[in-house]
Amino acid sequence: MDEEEYQKMIKRCLRCSICKWIPQVQIKSQKYATACPAIDLYNFHPYSGGGKIILALALEMGRIKPSEELRDIVYKCTECGNCAIACKFLNTLEPLEIIMRLREKLVEAGCGPMPKQKAYTEAVKNVNNPYSEPHENRMDWLPNDIKIDPNAKLLYYIGCTSSYRRKEMAIAAARIMNAAGVAFRILQDEEYCCGSPILRTGEIHTFQEFLNKNVDIIESKGIETVVFSCAGCYDTFKVDYPLYRDYNFKVCHTVEFFNELLEAGELKLTKEIPITATYHDPCHLGRNAERYEQWDGEEVKLIPLISINIPPKPKRTGKAGIYDPPRNILKKIPGLKFIEMERIREYAYCCGAGAGVKSAFPEMALNTAKIRIEEAEDTGADVIVSACPFCSTNLQDGISESGSKLKYYDISELLLMSLGLEPEKLKQALAEVA
Amino acid sequence: MKISENILSQQLVKICGSKNVTNNPEILKEYSTDMSFFMGKVPKFVTWPSKTQEILKILKLANQMNFSIIPVSSSSKLRQHGDTVPRKDNCVIIDLSKMNKIISINKENRVVMIEPGVTFKDLIPKLKQKGLRLLLPLHPTGTKSVLTSALEREPIVIPRYHWDSSDPLLCTEVIFGTGDLFRTGTAAGPGTISQQQKIGQAQLNPMGPTQFSPFRVIQGAQGSFGVVTWATLKLELIPTMQKVYHYHSNNIEELLDFQQQLVKYRLCDDTFILNNLNLASLVRKIDGEIENLAKSLLKWNMIFIISGRGDLAKDKLDYLEGDIKDLLRESNYVHLEKSDLINSDIFLKCVNESTSEPWRTRYKGYYQDIFFLSNFENISNYILMVQSKYSEDLGIYIQPINQGTSFHCEFDFFYDPNDNIKVDKIKRKISEIIINLMDSGAFFNRPYGYWAKEMYTRHIEQTSIALKKVKRIFDPNNVLNPGVLCFDD
Amino acid sequence: MLKKQILEEFQKTVGPENIDDGEVMTNAYAYNWCMELVNCMEEKEPIPFSPIPKAIILPSNVEEVQQIVKLCNKYDIQFKAQSTGLGPWNQPSSENCIILDLRRMNKIVKIDDKNLYAVVEPYVSGAQLQAETMKYDLTVHMPGAGPQVSPLASATSMNGPGFTSPHTGHSARNVLGVEWVLPDGEILRLGSTGLKNNPDWFSGDGPGPSLRGIMRGWAGAKSGIGVFTKVAFKLFPYPCSTKFKLKGISPNYEFDIPDFMKLYVMDCKNYNYLKKVFLAVEREEISFICSHLSGYGLGAIFSNSIESLMDKIPIASTHAPLVIVIAARTRREFEYKQKVMNKIMAEFKLENIIGTKYTPNSLFYAEALRSNLGLHGFIATGGFQSSKGQCDTATVCLNTTKMSIPLKKKYIKKGVIANDFGEGVWITSYESGHYFHVESPTLFDQTNEKSVNGMAENMNENYQFDLIKHLGAPFFVEGDRMHDKFGPHMMNYHKWLRKIKEAFDPNGIADSGFYISAK
Repeated sequence: MDEEEYQKMIKRCLRCSICKWIPQVQIKSQKYATACPAIDLYNFHPYSGGGKIILALALEMGRIKPSEELRDIVYKCTECGNCAIACKFLNTLEPLEIIMRLREKLVEAGCGPMPKQKAYTEAVKNVNNPYSEPHENRMDWLPNDIKIDPNAKLLYYIGCTSSYRRKEMAIAAARIMNAAGVAFRILQDEEYCCGSPILRTGEIHTFQEFLNKNVDIIESKGIETVVFSCAGCYDTFKVDYPLYRDYNFKVCHTVEFFNELLEAGELKLTKEIPITATYHDPCHLGRNAERYEQWDGEEVKLIPLISINIPPKPKRTGKAGIYDPPRNILKKIPGLKFIEMERIREYAYCCGAGAGVKSAFPEMALNTAKIRIEEAEDTGADVIVSACPFCSTNLQDGISESGSKLKYYDISELLLMSLGLEPEKLKQALAEVA
Repeated sequence: MKISENILSQQLVKICGSKNVTNNPEILKEYSTDMSFFMGKVPKFVTWPSKTQEILKILKLANQMNFSIIPVSSSSKLRQHGDTVPRKDNCVIIDLSKMNKIISINKENRVVMIEPGVTFKDLIPKLKQKGLRLLLPLHPTGTKSVLTSALEREPIVIPRYHWDSSDPLLCTEVIFGTGDLFRTGTAAGPGTISQQQKIGQAQLNPMGPTQFSPFRVIQGAQGSFGVVTWATLKLELIPTMQKVYHYHSNNIEELLDFQQQLVKYRLCDDTFILNNLNLASLVRKIDGEIENLAKSLLKWNMIFIISGRGDLAKDKLDYLEGDIKDLLRESNYVHLEKSDLINSDIFLKCVNESTSEPWRTRYKGYYQDIFFLSNFENISNYILMVQSKYSEDLGIYIQPINQGTSFHCEFDFFYDPNDNIKVDKIKRKISEIIINLMDSGAFFNRPYGYWAKEMYTRHIEQTSIALKKVKRIFDPNNVLNPGVLCFDD
Repeated sequence: MLKKQILEEFQKTVGPENIDDGEVMTNAYAYNWCMELVNCMEEKEPIPFSPIPKAIILPSNVEEVQQIVKLCNKYDIQFKAQSTGLGPWNQPSSENCIILDLRRMNKIVKIDDKNLYAVVEPYVSGAQLQAETMKYDLTVHMPGAGPQVSPLASATSMNGPGFTSPHTGHSARNVLGVEWVLPDGEILRLGSTGLKNNPDWFSGDGPGPSLRGIMRGWAGAKSGIGVFTKVAFKLFPYPCSTKFKLKGISPNYEFDIPDFMKLYVMDCKNYNYLKKVFLAVEREEISFICSHLSGYGLGAIFSNSIESLMDKIPIASTHAPLVIVIAARTRREFEYKQKVMNKIMAEFKLENIIGTKYTPNSLFYAEALRSNLGLHGFIATGGFQSSKGQCDTATVCLNTTKMSIPLKKKYIKKGVIANDFGEGVWITSYESGHYFHVESPTLFDQTNEKSVNGMAENMNENYQFDLIKHLGAPFFVEGDRMHDKFGPHMMNYHKWLRKIKEAFDPNGIADSGFYISAK
């Protein structure tokens, strides 16, 4: 969003509160009608998407100054984008982009991000990951028996969280590719943070440094396709990178990739997995994983006060999100009964971890996770599945904290099990995730 | 302060004319009692104003000379609940029966504007000529004031047309106890009534003006807030085809259940439940016939009527009948028994017309009634409670109101007024029963006579405080019907 | 900000995490839709911010609300209660005010399917409630502002028209029991709710007179007479099958239209004819929705953007369209209703353009059932507000429309409001045509000062016009200025209303900016 658009948009919030709810026509119960984890926990209006637009306007008008009070409200948000989906049902505002821009402005003013987020930004700068783990340990997840082809045109980009925290996901993804006979490579010690944790807390300059570094490296190696098992990395490469620079490789997520392999018969699911499972759509794989379309049209004034865009400006409403591939996978697993939660697809409720919330506001992350876990339980499922390491950690924390009997699996783990291979029991549930 | 009766007489005569003022003791005595057990005081005068201006002047005089006013709307002696019986000395009755104009009937907008003296027997046929019908209580007495019935929130027999508890009352012209003229709802303006009507209004919207709805405090106030000089009432179109259903059972629960479904899905117009005695009293006129019929009916009788109008009347009836049959089947009520003991035309008369004498007096000549609102679940409990205390010659009437969100529960105690033993028994029993019912949560939303005090003590204190605040606004000198409701002092 | 000692007392009531008097929070709550209009009308800077409240407080139950109100009385601070908070009526009229955000009071207390009502707290939205009542084959009346707002607020404190009003009436007329914290901090419970023994929610009137008459009128008091913490209101039969399935991605959902639902749009050509058709349809008691919209409005309800509205020009050029949705639970009922419509169309020589000239997306039907159509009014300029708002006969509504066209065109010509040919209105039937209301949604640009000024002038001129032409009192006759203007022409009602305010709020603690002050 450029500054001109930002300045126009922040004046147009109707304060209708639509942003607090999933699309009105999708509401199926009182309990699961809300969209925004921030206002669900903190209740005051500024915590909502629309509320933050008002804060942006108040700041621009000089009615409020950058302050800790403002910063705390603005950063109590996972940038899940649910507010944007709801708003754009009829309106044309972009609450998520306004929030991101507002964070950039706070950082510029020296008033952001949160201290814990500043700390992990420094860690990224120093050791290329937000966990302050040694860079040289990045490949520790890799078992000896995984076949890597250093000349493959397909790159598996693991990401910081899977490398250091959710190693079972990385291992599962690698084993599946091996089982399908897919040749892939990894970047080894040339894999660096994708920049998502920094971008989403407003540190735009540091983000651009990492963006450029990563694209340079990948392009230099002649890679044609990059596959991600982390929804955050995937979204960042797919959606955010092209806003700053073009690149010449394709990107896809393991759920898309594995779904294609299944459809092509390259993966044979033989073992029954007799569970009832529900799927949590990660924000960065679902509604937010929609590229910005270039629009070269113009705003045409039809009559006083009414202008239209010719051609119509593309509206990102989550239509290009990845919803069906993971569901297809789950439905193909023998013995697995699949059941949906109420808030799914482009209006799925956030797990609570994103945009720095897990580190800066762990109680918000946990509270949100518990809400999502309860929603999963209410379906009657005994397993909750997702496809993102952030969601994985936070939802598992939610399970543990609430004493739920639900089990969590990453979709790659279930696939692996159905291939007859044992998932690695290397789950580490460290609290600190960016 | 004792008023000078001579001065008062002169003033009243000046306002209404000598033919319209009396202090004839026999006439005064008529207004000091009614059919209830409530013993009142003898008024000083009865007046019959015929114009709004006259009432305005009387009210201003009342404020100046410190006498109280009780408005009554009909000349009949069939007033029932003690609300128009003076509780204080220095009282003047304003009998509005001479204000009996049907001011306008507006078919396009289904509304009628009437003065308080218009009775059911006057109005129903006039409306019928134009293809319109009132929202009626059950077989109202012909001499009763239509407007009073609406002001009293008497239950109407078509729950699906009962959109709000205030229906069918719409706008009013009222003179408050202060002597100020006011009009409620859209009748308030801007503009006079004729100016409003010129631009196409018909005083349909009862709400307002603006941010309050004074008609709601006038309604149910037993004349203690204002004297209504005209009102508009909602009408419906007369159906061209009606079909009557009479189901009976010894188990009221299953009838209530079935009725509830009919009301929920808006499948019928008129519907009510009567016990055998009340049904017999409703449809027969003579004592002996009533008893015989009551004996042949099962205990509980649910009547409902479906209607259609115009060229597609039969189509409507066909679809309603079909849906009702499905409902019976789906709810496992196919076993419910229909009765053909009473001709449909008789039922149609009861719901579409008035009667010359109150139907409740047909059996024994006199009756006392207890009525209150209940939810669905407690109806049977209340019935058991009353019947355990008194069951002989007891009529019971259950009427779903307000689109089925509550139920008017009525118990009619029939007796010969010359049977003193019976009279005493009923007096005692009724008091006891009322207290028991109130203590169990029966909601006496229309509290008359001595019930009123009992009801208000069983309602949160803030209600009386609030009502008194409102009373002090509209009738600060407590001129209008002092002593009713919670307005004792 | 609050003085420390006062803040501490409020904190003791709700907990420190539920009150905030910081600069950021209070400024954020000072913002609202159309606040720039209100400011303009009060000859203030036309910004979308009201006076900044001293604090925002979030009570969780009626006892906390009561405590808060009592503290307000103690410290002479006004209060303004809000639910979802849409619109300038939620704003304080002075800085000596705290806002009660009732968000934490979000329980559906009960849905009583035998007695056909629901009891809710302030922050239950219409859509939430409908989703639950559908499980009992019932639905709820939702106001035109949309399903995301509070039906409690609509029933007790705001207005009350809705698209489904032919079937579900008006919010104010659906009210049963009420729990009400008066401005002096006492709790009033109306009707059967106030019984000491076995209170229940089924009636809001009495004993005796109904205090619902003090609570509100055609419009509510917008927090000027206290805080409503629970309300019971009637429920209605869900008009068709409760199957509610959508496919696809927002906003282009495909809705599995329930059996037995049909849309009619008929061009009645002129207002006289429209009136006849309107009344004829409503007399038959068959409609779920029956509204007249202008051509622009008609296009808008079928569009989700200004660009997609351009496709609707052929239907948007209808002059006097009538939009009717019929819905039925059974085939028989549906066939009957269709027969009625066919008969009417034959009699009046009308054509249903749906299915012939135009077929809407299936999503329209979902939005019709979910009362989401009103929000389409925002798609053209991003801003609108309604002038008018009176309610009585179809005749006066259409006369109002006709007579106001030149007035509206004047402002269209000035380029300060969008061109809807002056015909932009929404007229809906209530309770099968027993009455009708008209409002004139007028499109303006809230970020353009000239447009805001023009819109304000337009509204003021409309008020004056309605007054002198006896067209009835519009919605927004609220606040001292408007009451003093209209009152003398309307039986001096304002004097009575002031007395009510004085009696119930002797300390003037309930913010009266959109009600009346005792003066």
